[in-house]
Amino acid sequence: MSEKSTRRKFIDRSARIAGFVGIGATAGVLARRVSGDHVYQVDPFKCTACDKCRTSCVLSFSAVKAVNDFEKCGYCMLCPAYFDVTSFPDEKGIPSGKVCPQDALKRRVVGKEDPDDPNNNYYEYVIDEERCDGCGKCVKACKPPAGNGSLRLEIRYARCVECNECAIKVACPDQAIIRVKTPGMAPTESPDETKVL
Amino acid sequence: MRRRFSRGQLRFIAPGRVRFLLVALAVFAASVLYAQYQRTPPDFGESYSFPTPTHPEPDSAWIHSLDILMLVAGLGLAAWLVLKRRSRNGVMMLSIGALAYFGFYRKGCICPIGAIQNVTLCLADSSYLISIGVIAFFFLPLVAALLFGRVFCSGVCPLGALQDMVLLWPKKVPQKLDRALRWLPYVYLALAVMFAGWGLHMKLGSWEIRAARRFLICEWDPFIGLFRLSGPFYMLAIGAGLILLGMFFGRPYCRWLCPYGGILSLLSRFSWKNVQITPDKELDCGLCAEACPYGAIRELRADRATCLSCARCYDSCPRHHELRKEALVQVKPS
Repeated sequence: MSEKSTRRKFIDRSARIAGFVGIGATAGVLARRVSGDHVYQVDPFKCTACDKCRTSCVLSFSAVKAVNDFEKCGYCMLCPAYFDVTSFPDEKGIPSGKVCPQDALKRRVVGKEDPDDPNNNYYEYVIDEERCDGCGKCVKACKPPAGNGSLRLEIRYARCVECNECAIKVACPDQAIIRVKTPGMAPTESPDETKVL
Repeated sequence: MRRRFSRGQLRFIAPGRVRFLLVALAVFAASVLYAQYQRTPPDFGESYSFPTPTHPEPDSAWIHSLDILMLVAGLGLAAWLVLKRRSRNGVMMLSIGALAYFGFYRKGCICPIGAIQNVTLCLADSSYLISIGVIAFFFLPLVAALLFGRVFCSGVCPLGALQDMVLLWPKKVPQKLDRALRWLPYVYLALAVMFAGWGLHMKLGSWEIRAARRFLICEWDPFIGLFRLSGPFYMLAIGAGLILLGMFFGRPYCRWLCPYGGILSLLSRFSWKNVQITPDKELDCGLCAEACPYGAIRELRADRATCLSCARCYDSCPRHHELRKEALVQVKPS
């Protein structure tokens, strides 16, 4: 074997060992900050429904959808998240415009319907996920004091592709995309008690 | 037009107790209004039960373990197929499998190319947590590159598999141009690392550029839109353009853009084993160099840094086929 080839082999081996050591050391440093089985979720207490969930998700039709918490919902006739309360009202006093640009918020009467006075009725509000694009306009409108805060944005794992790094998290101005433990439910109580949803 | 009252004027309009009454009335009115909206859920009695909102569960941990397992198996299999079995067909089948699983099934989002950014961010920002899958996907192909060369590129990477598949009419690229273009991955890598870890803050005289942290590689990934069958127009257009280009020039993204390929290329220079075109009985015919669509065979030797371990050279080698036949005869004596 020629001298040049031996030298080449020596360089190769040294570089290889250096490479392994480097990889091992970096991996060791990173391994101390492993997140475990955490997934991304929207923290409703930090979320300001800024529309970034709609625009920033890597999916063209965002994996974030509005979700109605029925236990909190007031079943109001004049739902501020359903109706655009600033739009012109008709003769019965019902606003003509709706908040949802996708018409994804659906409602139906619960129990007996009073056709003469809509104020006597209760309505159940359900989000049509096939239409909802996660813009959060309804979530914003449902925030207290106008609403009960029953609507919130949530990452829907049936759609989420679980990127290495959530693109919405990178874009979120409120740091509202947090990591939660599986099963990935959004926090229902604020860790900071002074904040009320 | 609304009139504004100063404190003095207000006192003039409503002095003393009347003012107090006015305030009380306003508070009462506000609370009545507030109560109108802030309704508790009504009591529907037995007739109605509250629907429970659905919460689709995230993928369980086993699928993430399966990803890592598939990666390890893929790397091992690729190394065996390229170095030991020397089978072009085998490598092709493996890469089709990788395209199906990592590309279309897992939607291309568990990728070492993007993991560069997570690793950078984790090193730059002490509050950032990284998942074990990302660590595995970043480091295992690097280890494989030090041992066996760029077997990740050949058998496991879905982006590479896709481009390999569309290469129908391979054309040679002038060597000088090829060499110049091979610097691009490092430029891209530097940009991606800078943006992922720190963002951009520059001041040039009166010009000030500020950009927040962002994941450039993910934003400009060419084929992720295809894997997900959705995406912004520019992404799909770049993907289509690269596929079109890739029909004539082998793997344009891998060779001239991929930042992870840049790292792999650096490491595979010192790989323990690598593609060796002909065992010992060479013909010096140069058919392998003709067959290599990546210009990775120089002076009838595979260049370790640029070789993508696709095994096309074996397929073109008459000696290889002869040896294979002899081996088969030896294995199965009639």
